[in-house]
Amino acid sequence: MNVIGESVQTRSGRDEIGPVASGRVPPPEASVLRNGLTRSKAHMVQAVTKSVMLDDDQEMIERKLKRLSQEKSLFDRKTSKIQFLMCKVLLMIMYLIYGFYRYFQYEYNRMKLKLLNIMYNPSNTPQLIRQDVNKLKKIPKRLAAILEMKSASYVGGGVKGLMNDGSELVCWTVSAGIKHLILYDYDGVLKNNVQDFRKEIRAKLGKYYGPSNVPKYAIRIPHLNKIYFNDEDDATSNGKNKVAIEVSLLSNRDGRETIVDLTRTMADLCAANELKLSNITMKLVDKELTHLVGPEPDLLLYFGPALDLQGFPPWHIRLTELHWEEDNDDVVYSVFIRGLQKYSACKINVGK
Amino acid sequence: MRIPKGIRNRLTGPRAERSELTRVEACFKFIKDELMVILIWIASIKLFVILYRQLQNVLIGVVRVGPVPRHVSFIMDGNRRYAKGRGMSVKRGHEAGGLALLNLCYACKNIGIKCVSAYAFSIENFNRPKEEVDNLYNMFAVKLDEFAQRANSFKDPLYGARIRIVGDHSLVSQEMRDKIKNVEKLTKDGADFTLYICFPYTSRNDIYHTVHDSIEKSLKEKSDLGKFTVSAFTERMYLDDFSNKCDLLIRTSGHMRLSDYMLWQSHENSDIQFTSTLWPDFGFIKFYLMLLRWSFFTSIQRYADAGFSIREKVISFIPFLANKKIALDSLPTAPLAVSITGEHD
Repeated sequence: MNVIGESVQTRSGRDEIGPVASGRVPPPEASVLRNGLTRSKAHMVQAVTKSVMLDDDQEMIERKLKRLSQEKSLFDRKTSKIQFLMCKVLLMIMYLIYGFYRYFQYEYNRMKLKLLNIMYNPSNTPQLIRQDVNKLKKIPKRLAAILEMKSASYVGGGVKGLMNDGSELVCWTVSAGIKHLILYDYDGVLKNNVQDFRKEIRAKLGKYYGPSNVPKYAIRIPHLNKIYFNDEDDATSNGKNKVAIEVSLLSNRDGRETIVDLTRTMADLCAANELKLSNITMKLVDKELTHLVGPEPDLLLYFGPALDLQGFPPWHIRLTELHWEEDNDDVVYSVFIRGLQKYSACKINVGK
Repeated sequence: MRIPKGIRNRLTGPRAERSELTRVEACFKFIKDELMVILIWIASIKLFVILYRQLQNVLIGVVRVGPVPRHVSFIMDGNRRYAKGRGMSVKRGHEAGGLALLNLCYACKNIGIKCVSAYAFSIENFNRPKEEVDNLYNMFAVKLDEFAQRANSFKDPLYGARIRIVGDHSLVSQEMRDKIKNVEKLTKDGADFTLYICFPYTSRNDIYHTVHDSIEKSLKEKSDLGKFTVSAFTERMYLDDFSNKCDLLIRTSGHMRLSDYMLWQSHENSDIQFTSTLWPDFGFIKFYLMLLRWSFFTSIQRYADAGFSIREKVISFIPFLANKKIALDSLPTAPLAVSITGEHD
């Protein structure tokens, strides 16, 4: 039945992760907070004041030209210039006030996170996690998380750090009793290092459940249509239904590009008269994308300081509940459990 | 100060539920209610209205000199809860919401934002009670006419705005479709500011629609989609030039999800803001604070990316210190070069 899905996969090349789309400009707040400008106060103030004077933005110049063209006489132009400078100064003052306020907010949030981290600590014990989760009315069926690789010079940075975060998250999810986890990282680092990641998960699960008693897991890479199980030897012998958790690895490649690939493939099939145009319905597109990327997650966790979806597959975040903690910077259990708590309290009403 | 009971009720809502509150809470609520009445009374004095408008203009003028988002989008959620909270009919709540959007459009246009889009009606909203859907329909038709009129009258602040109604129009009546076409035609010359009203819209429908139309087009023209790229795909979506990215997406009333809106536009690189304010309460000041936040971080981001030297900037203002760029060709020709060995050209 799945002619379309398979031909999309052969088209896009089964064995490569695909080129990494470069030139991503993250949303302003996330990018500023992540780049560590907040580390030095003096630097921050300097950045605020100087950035006001920056005006080589195309649209700013456009607005300036428009303003100048309206006033005809020299006097008007001079006053308008003074007005412009006044506005710049006022803007700078407002930036400084806002920055000051934001600084206190930042400190407050950090403090809150520290307290939360003390309150919620799984300490490698599945029972504790299950206890936390059992207080909730409902849990999501499918959980997704956006992970990002920090620069290797930080603690917990680099590929190793990313894999550590990912496997930690797998352990929490297993212990919480959620069957499906989607891990997204923009560049597909986890996909590229899937063998190492597999070992890392096994080691981490061993810490939680004892090395001889590791729960069964499956790692799926939908883009390459591959599944990996616990051990190298029992590759596909075990039935899928025995698995305690299924981990899907996604990257930027599964987002917009996959939708465009699907369009191309369907056009080819239509041209070859294998598919009718009238048969292309919303349902079919949804089915194919579910096949190619996976189902829609119920809850999406992000572990950065300000929400940045980083190109998570657009088709799949339709009704997904989003959760992140402001000014948080690490993959910590408190964010995970608070996300679940929020999900259990939210009401879903499509269209009503 | 004595204020007639009817006016008080209209301003702050009935106080029937007070009996259920504890004494301390009741006390607080009483003070709040009284204060609100006084504040609203002050705000209604003409002088303060003028002052507020002046302040608004100054604030807009200030934020204009910094970076400004190109495309701002609103999910207008909370009209019904607003109406319920004040004991009004649902219809009145939606009307208040429409008014709030128009007010923000004035501000956005003055600030220099190129495009505003708003989620007016989701395809899923057809599941609502029929009466409400009809009401929304009628209100929408009236507002459309009003907007078209304003965009064409020279004195109005909305003069020169373009309105586009996007979404799956096969779901609305023929009469409505004609009206939409008419209004779009009336305002099609506006270039500075575009208002996209998403009516009946869902983002998945938008993506599906683009997939379908692209295939249809390629079949009709017998062209191969082999080199079909993401940007070509994006160009064919409902929002024309603004389909690629929405710089600032604001969702009111506290839900932390996108509800099938602007998925393609906001899943990458865009700033998504959630606020627990209900939509009709989301006024200029609240919007302005969000904008300031965006502008603050954007300008620092640009600064961090581009690097900026205050020295160069100052020097460029002083004419005799500025090291002008001089083209080599613009210099007068040098005298004839003669070597000591006697050779020359």
